[in-house]
Amino acid sequence: MEGHQSVIIAVFSTSSGIGKTLTAINLAAGFAKEGYETCLVDLDLQFGDVMSYLKLTSEYTLAEAQIALTTEPDHYDMEDYLVKYSHEGVSFSVLPPPRQIDDAYLVDVAVVEDIIRRLSHFNFIVLDLTAVFSTLNLAMLDMCTIINYIGVMDFLPAVKNYKVGYDTLLRFEYEESKICLIENRSDSEKFIYSGDVERLVGEKFYHRLPNDFPAVNKSIQTGQPLMFAAPLSPLTQSYWQLVGRYTNRRTPTKRSIQEEKSPGAFSWLLGAGGWHAT
Amino acid sequence: MKYRVILVEHDAHMLSELAGALRASSVFDLAAAYQETEPALGRSSVFRPNLFLVDVDHPESLEYLSRFSELFPKASVLGLMEQWDADLADRALEAGVMGCILKPFHAEDVVSAMELYKRRGQPKPARTFAFFSPKGRSGRTTLASVLAMELARMSGEAVCLIDADLQFGDLPMFFDVRPPHSVVEATHDVKLLTPSTLEPYFERVGNGVWLLSSPVRPEHAELVEVESLVDVVHMAGTLFRYVLVDLPAGFNPVSIAVSDFADTDFLMTMLNSGQEIRHMSRSMPMFQVQKRYGKRVYSLFTRVNPCTEEQRKKIEASYGHVVDDILPNEYRVTATTSSGRLAKELPVELPLIQYISRIAEDIVNGKR
Repeated sequence: MEGHQSVIIAVFSTSSGIGKTLTAINLAAGFAKEGYETCLVDLDLQFGDVMSYLKLTSEYTLAEAQIALTTEPDHYDMEDYLVKYSHEGVSFSVLPPPRQIDDAYLVDVAVVEDIIRRLSHFNFIVLDLTAVFSTLNLAMLDMCTIINYIGVMDFLPAVKNYKVGYDTLLRFEYEESKICLIENRSDSEKFIYSGDVERLVGEKFYHRLPNDFPAVNKSIQTGQPLMFAAPLSPLTQSYWQLVGRYTNRRTPTKRSIQEEKSPGAFSWLLGAGGWHAT
Repeated sequence: MKYRVILVEHDAHMLSELAGALRASSVFDLAAAYQETEPALGRSSVFRPNLFLVDVDHPESLEYLSRFSELFPKASVLGLMEQWDADLADRALEAGVMGCILKPFHAEDVVSAMELYKRRGQPKPARTFAFFSPKGRSGRTTLASVLAMELARMSGEAVCLIDADLQFGDLPMFFDVRPPHSVVEATHDVKLLTPSTLEPYFERVGNGVWLLSSPVRPEHAELVEVESLVDVVHMAGTLFRYVLVDLPAGFNPVSIAVSDFADTDFLMTMLNSGQEIRHMSRSMPMFQVQKRYGKRVYSLFTRVNPCTEEQRKKIEASYGHVVDDILPNEYRVTATTSSGRLAKELPVELPLIQYISRIAEDIVNGKR
């Protein structure tokens, strides 16, 4: 971690299918829109969806990067393994997961740590993780600046797993200030109230994302982040607010998407207050 | 009920010890004791026995074992072994033995084993089912738990659920139980256990359904050795006729080892973003190898809307393999599982439950 310049956001959860990938993509797109050099790393090695959500293809993946890094470290160039997403002036890099499940199985955690360190020229690195406390995920949670801990509170076992996951993170001594609790689909019709979940978990949600199924669908079908697929959706606005909180954007959110790029400084990181000060 | 017993034991010392244990009990009436299997078969009919205790360690016994149940269909046969041998226990089950116990034994060991094995059901090998999904939120736990209840109801035999989703298992919550033991203790102890000492690790959660719970804390998953877990699943098959294992999502040592061991794998996903069919296509090759060696593999899609034959064909075309089952979505089932009322208030009238019932029926009738 010494000398690491990037802000690393780990998008983590303890249930699948609750919007991790979508969140990772829209955070990456948001950081890029703000003018930050951004890299999105799909660490759902077996069944990652980032590439198909963005309709990207690439010859090289993390598997090839691992081979190169272990066999020819001197000739290794990180850029060779990244693919660029670009649209209307917004662009960010993506490191794709291995194509074959067998290759995914062979990925070495130490190599992934090395790869993340080699991405340090990016201002923001967004990690799309899986819903399990695996060796890889724990290594990434160790390395990251922020754990974007996301959940959908529509199903009691999912709420249980959210609570169990949060307690486990605290037991593993991740600082509370590093963990941002994000509730996804917060306004959808359900019988479990956010306030009750907060009471159970013992911590307030850092941010709530509304539900907009048609917008999400359109985003996946067109292969574009929400800011292009559904610019007016409340979900798009909400992601933009979340990005603003992570970048400590000064002008808040009303004008959102049309907003000017904010200055690429990390003063907020050095300043007092931390994440929960906003 | 008094048991009229024929004892077959090749070792003379052991034979007299076992005979002594049986004679000392009022539950057993030792009709005859033999050192060889063949004469036991030939002469037993005059005694009208209802229980055979047969040494299965001896190779000769295995050969004759199935003849006991053929000649004395109304009698029960228990195998005797010196050390627990799971493969030998399987072969004994295949030969029509209701179960095996360790020797030497006390009379009460035989009584309690008889109770457990009678509860288990027909003296036939267990069926073991693994529920695999590439990612979570697949309806895996719902399918496993409803299928378990329906299997128990239709067969009248004992069914167990093993929650091998070690970090975030939901089965205890589905049944609203907080069992004192979990898969952690069972796997830790399994080398020292026999079926009757493994049994208390299971919690009864419904009519004919028992649960071996997942650990309470995610980090306890690390304490579970995969090999021991397979041993537990294997031994569970001597206590339960149907063993259903809920796996963690994706390919990992646990899901690979257990789905490899099971005789039947359900490979399943819930249709959601549309990417799931691709995940299933990528997963299938890992199962196809096993399918070639006789494993039954069913591909199943949940939350299919509309749940029609036309839709099934559409999924099949994109999946590139046979789609065995498509299941509709049902929010009422979600509500029931969510509140732990599954065992008490199974909404049997819902199409989803009825579909799972039909799967259970096929299994019970040997069609799956």
